[in-house]
Amino acid sequence: MAEPDFEAQLSRLFAEAPSFPDAALFNAEVAGKLDRGWAMRRVFIGLAGTAAGLFAAFQILTTRFSSEMAELSRNSGRNFSSEIDAGLNKVSALVSGAPASGEALWMAAGLAVIALAFAVTRAVEEF
Amino acid sequence: MGMDRPPTGHDVELAARAASGDRRAYGELVRRHGSAVRGLLRRLGADSATADDLAQDAFMTGFEQAAEYRGEGTFGAWIKKIAARLYLKKVKREARLIFSDNLEPVEDLSVRDTPADAASRIDLDEALKSLSRGERLCVSLCYGADWSHAEAGEALNIPIGTVKSHVRRGLDKLRAKLARPEEGARREAHG
Repeated sequence: MAEPDFEAQLSRLFAEAPSFPDAALFNAEVAGKLDRGWAMRRVFIGLAGTAAGLFAAFQILTTRFSSEMAELSRNSGRNFSSEIDAGLNKVSALVSGAPASGEALWMAAGLAVIALAFAVTRAVEEF
Repeated sequence: MGMDRPPTGHDVELAARAASGDRRAYGELVRRHGSAVRGLLRRLGADSATADDLAQDAFMTGFEQAAEYRGEGTFGAWIKKIAARLYLKKVKREARLIFSDNLEPVEDLSVRDTPADAASRIDLDEALKSLSRGERLCVSLCYGADWSHAEAGEALNIPIGTVKSHVRRGLDKLRAKLARPEEGARREAHG
């Protein structure tokens, strides 16, 4: 047999996929792996969203707190004790829930809850 | 029930849908090409369990990288390349493959088939067992996975000339093995 003919025959033989009696089982196993991988990915996205929401809330609070402290520091030297008192009052108002900081906090908390709800919903749906 | 019907369409279309996260479309590709990939891995020399594990890994990788398949070649060839790379990686990692100039393997790995394999075995699979490890790998990569000699050489970390030698010797052995039944039939017809 000529070489090109044999190579063509060989290519044809290789192209013929053997039939496996457990092909359906193999397909199901791959599908199961894909589903599990997808579920894990969604859970991870949800958890990442939750963590990001919490981090954002923390950052907002910290930023507000830092700016208050900076303002306090700039004004120090004039009337130290009165400024300290005023600053402390501002900080305590911030922590105890002044309207502006309260909105930001609730917004961040809301985002975190939405992300968590998304993660839980996806997890329940997938498993 | 329309929802239960398997997705239809060309492989390229299904792969594009898989790239956007359609697992059912990808499941259809697995159904179409699963046996070919499993068969190729066995022909490369993997035992049944390893071949099936690697085939699953190849399809998982294929799903992750589906966006990279743009229909330049067939999906079957693309997924076979992934499977072959995974197999070579595994073989290298386990240090079971050491090529030398005499082209012979350090360790002879015989394929351990299950009864299920035996039922689906064809002449080619039997003939491949007569090849050395290197010959078998090179022939299967070049004719089963559509790799060029250069690609095979690069993946196996051997010179292209060595790949060609493997292929030439492998083809000679396969020709002799595969020709025998035909000769036998001719003798019977004449006798």
